[in-house]
Amino acid sequence: MKSIALAGNPNTGKTSLFNMLTKSYEYVGNWTGVTVEKKVGKLKSGDAELVDLPGIYSLNPLSKDEGVSIHYLMNEMPSTIINIVDGSLLERNLNLTVQLLEYGQPLLIGLNMVDIAKSRGIRIDQKKLAKLLGVPVVPIIARTGSGCDEVLDKLDQSVSPSTFQIDYGEIIEQAISVIDARLEADPPYHHRWLAIQFLEGNQVVKDKLSAWIPEEDLNQLYDQTEKRIKDTGESHSLPSYIYKARNERIKAIIGDSVHVEQNSTTNWTEKIDRILLNRFLGIPLFLAVMYLVFQFTFDWLGSQISDQLDGFLSGPVSDGLTWLLTTCGASSFIKSVVLEGIVSGVGGVLVFVPQIFILFFFISWLEDSGYMARIALLMDRLMSSVGLNGKAFIPMIIGFGCNVPGIMAARTIEHPKERLLTILLSPLMSCSARLTVYALFAAAFFSSHQSLIVLSLYVLSIVTALLLAKLFSSTFLKHEDQSAFVIELPPYRVPQWRILLRSTWEKGKGFVRKAGTFIFGGSVVIWLLSYSGPSGFDVEMNQSFLAIIGNAIAPLFDPIGFGNWQAGASLLTGFLAKEVVVSTMNINDA
Amino acid sequence: MTLSELEEGLQARIIDLSGINPLVRRRLLDLGILEGSMIRLIHRLPLRGAFALEVNHQEFGLRYAEAKRIEVEVV
Repeated sequence: MKSIALAGNPNTGKTSLFNMLTKSYEYVGNWTGVTVEKKVGKLKSGDAELVDLPGIYSLNPLSKDEGVSIHYLMNEMPSTIINIVDGSLLERNLNLTVQLLEYGQPLLIGLNMVDIAKSRGIRIDQKKLAKLLGVPVVPIIARTGSGCDEVLDKLDQSVSPSTFQIDYGEIIEQAISVIDARLEADPPYHHRWLAIQFLEGNQVVKDKLSAWIPEEDLNQLYDQTEKRIKDTGESHSLPSYIYKARNERIKAIIGDSVHVEQNSTTNWTEKIDRILLNRFLGIPLFLAVMYLVFQFTFDWLGSQISDQLDGFLSGPVSDGLTWLLTTCGASSFIKSVVLEGIVSGVGGVLVFVPQIFILFFFISWLEDSGYMARIALLMDRLMSSVGLNGKAFIPMIIGFGCNVPGIMAARTIEHPKERLLTILLSPLMSCSARLTVYALFAAAFFSSHQSLIVLSLYVLSIVTALLLAKLFSSTFLKHEDQSAFVIELPPYRVPQWRILLRSTWEKGKGFVRKAGTFIFGGSVVIWLLSYSGPSGFDVEMNQSFLAIIGNAIAPLFDPIGFGNWQAGASLLTGFLAKEVVVSTMNINDA
Repeated sequence: MTLSELEEGLQARIIDLSGINPLVRRRLLDLGILEGSMIRLIHRLPLRGAFALEVNHQEFGLRYAEAKRIEVEVV
């Protein structure tokens, strides 16, 4: 199958475009060489697959996440690359475009955010741009899907590789030809691209090159070339010299194809930021937003739906199943496994599905509106005081949904030690699975203020995480070198329903799947343990195997005040999946 | 003067980035920010918190410690 890659800067609408171009079917696989997930979807037209590369500014990676793209280009040459370009930030975006053009595979540009550019008085002559770069340029609005059909059409026609080339000046060109001569016909990549990436300091490319050219020779060539550059007095390093040469050409291209007129439209993003990032209001407003999210999730909306679902499961569903099983003449064993095991076990967890989806919906809303990046900025002061980074706050918030994607989101943190620290602490965040346990306890032990109770449990987990972060960062994860914190603050946008629903589902589907597999199986096993005992089947609950196991470990929990066998057994099953604690309790107390 | 001394809402030209952490410098370069760029301070968070800045219509955030090492001149 043909493989097409989707590449572009972060925050350019890449994920929107990916969703628009692919059928809902997609799978997640591992990249060769690195254990990072990749998203692959089937194109709406024809039988090609579309690979979604992480957002990058340059092919020279700075974080692990960015390394994925260059590894992909080195290992699995795509037949075509779709490069999504933010029309309102053309100069910066074209830096990546040029590197992709040098890569040598056919390329197609999806020019996004032309509307935003227009509102800033930037008019792009896309025909001229296409001619100057030697590749097709299709204007799109990824969020609404406009122009996506044309992208698919263009992909069907064969796109030929561009002949675009930059003259990097005599010194660089000489170094390129030295490498080219040494490589002869060996590697299946464009030699020129390899050479330029190497001279720009791309470690991944250098490692690959050392298979053909001894490393000492490479180092020598690099140092010699850098010395010659320094001698000219034009630049202090080789990478910045190449960057400048490339940037000059990009500026010339923009000069020829973009018309800018002074336009003084109101900048809404700055107006909103003046309030949301206000030195006095910023953090209180953030806490208020989080409080509202929790109120919606637990008090106002979520618990109502959950109660109704609970009523539906314990009423019509249970009654219907009882009737059905009785009419079929099922044995009491089967009846018991279905009604007491599966319905009360899986059902006890399923009633939390509405709350979990509501929480994910709001997290998606925060992400898509652009507020999430501001949260990282607001939290950086606090996070840096415990040796972390404002960006670590985002994996932690995602960790509220599920720890696994939370840990995966830590990939965007550049500094290795901060990344490790974030990964170590993310599991302390109260994920949705624990939410079911909290909600159960809050409902069982507190008659009012339940959402406040749950919120304070969440805050407690954050405080614990921060204290541990301080401990870790001042002991075995101590680092003297300073961490990097540069975060893009994208313009605020009104989130689109389609994007919100899709991203909510993406986050929440794992929970539903788990309910159907782990929790289903766990419920049956726990029921069986409670149904059977040394004396046979259908025994008294406190004569069952479960009671024996629970009793054996109960003394361990005596010091913290819950030394009964029910609690011991519930905790044990929590190792399987935290939600199962709830279903164990449902079965035990049934 | 340094970027950290700039008044909120004012614009200045970056004259020296050599003092900052190389990782940060590389990331700024990725965003198209280098010596000569015009930078504007939108916001400064309290207690030496982060800075919200703007270059070429794009907003981004930076730490106080970094802003202190960026030399700028008001033009």
